[in-house]
Amino acid sequence: MIRTTLVVGALLLGVSAVVAQQDLVKQNQDTMKANAKNLGAMIAMVKGEKPYDQAAVTEGLAQLEETARKLPTMFPDSIKGMNPADSKYEVSPKIWKDKAGFHAKIEEFAKVVTEAKPKITDLDTLKANAPAIGKACGNCHETFRIKKG
Amino acid sequence: MRRIFLGAAIAAAIGLSVYWLLTEPFILSGRPITLAARTPDLANGKVVFNAGGCASCHAVPGQPDRLKLGGGLAIHSPFGTFYAPNISPDEADGIGRWTEANFVTAVTSGVSPGGQHFFPVFPYTSYAHARVDDIRDLFAYIKTLAKVAGKVRDHDVPFPFNIRRNVGIWKLLFFDAKPFTPDSAHSAQWNRGAYLVNSLGHCAECHSPRNFLGGIITAQRFAGGPNPEGEGWVPNITEKELSDWSARDIDYFLKTGQTPDGDSAGGSMVAVIKNTSQLPDADIAAIAEYVKSLPPVVGPPKPPKKANK
Repeated sequence: MIRTTLVVGALLLGVSAVVAQQDLVKQNQDTMKANAKNLGAMIAMVKGEKPYDQAAVTEGLAQLEETARKLPTMFPDSIKGMNPADSKYEVSPKIWKDKAGFHAKIEEFAKVVTEAKPKITDLDTLKANAPAIGKACGNCHETFRIKKG
Repeated sequence: MRRIFLGAAIAAAIGLSVYWLLTEPFILSGRPITLAARTPDLANGKVVFNAGGCASCHAVPGQPDRLKLGGGLAIHSPFGTFYAPNISPDEADGIGRWTEANFVTAVTSGVSPGGQHFFPVFPYTSYAHARVDDIRDLFAYIKTLAKVAGKVRDHDVPFPFNIRRNVGIWKLLFFDAKPFTPDSAHSAQWNRGAYLVNSLGHCAECHSPRNFLGGIITAQRFAGGPNPEGEGWVPNITEKELSDWSARDIDYFLKTGQTPDGDSAGGSMVAVIKNTSQLPDADIAAIAEYVKSLPPVVGPPKPPKKANK
């Protein structure tokens, strides 16, 4: 009986661990989508498709800064090679193979966001600083993200 | 019996001669050329350098200076791994001893000064459509850059793909060296874009599917396909996939690497953006107008999504 309970308990733990990992993968996808949504809104302002909106910019930058803070722990070994079910992208195995390189890119991104945040106060300063943020995204996606479709 | 043997020997000799002729670099593709004297336009050479994306492959990897053309980047392909050569003006290891005619022949015909075929990993298949004056300006510009010492290692390409003579056959099948001709039905800006995309920009080299011999499948030009360098997928850049992008969106993407929905370029496109972002605004706008005009083409089917293990 004790043995059965232990086995079932271990199995349940295992299942919930897998579920938790799937949740992490989904959360990461949501975070990246939120980044794109916020940057997309800023790009629309830079292109003149939408009027400058300080509240949206402040909120977007805060979310990007939050991402920079989370990124170092977003890809633990427990979700190595795991991908969201519905995504144009997959993680590159290099995230776990070249941890130092990956973390260097995260630091680069964090630095750009932290430096840009206080500088962006109007359309001109947004135009001057937003491209650097997108560039930092790309510098990491160059090596650590794989396009699937 | 003797007669059969003799017949076979003659057939083999004829076969070998035909192979030899078809694969001879100078007869079909790389006739030695002579160029009249001309003062190069270095500013244009720099535009050509950025439009051609030379730095993406030939800059020394793992360091930030795009103008240090010592080569060494490993380029993976289904046929083996190629290593981008040193094209800095170094006399011993780079192209410092090349003549201008050597350079033009190499870039537009894919034939080395020593009379050998270059492998088509070097996109002379696209550069062949470039204007000779643009290539001459490029040569002059590269000559102004720093000399970088160091010979790059040999390609790691297995038999039979390592036989350079075979590239002669490949060229007969897939190499169309016709110069670019403007289409008078379109604007000057569109034609400038068509020129940059199809010659120097060599966009189709990655954004088109290839057949088992590595030739571009012409009917699906620009329709994307599996990444020839390894994992992942190169997107379709015809209206099939880019219909919700405006020319302005493409323009902004080539300047910044940012898509209209806030996503960023990834993979090899990040290096491409480093080139295109250096181009004059008018050239970026021209490329955008031309790409936006590409009629929708269905690309090869995408692989099914991998489930999590």
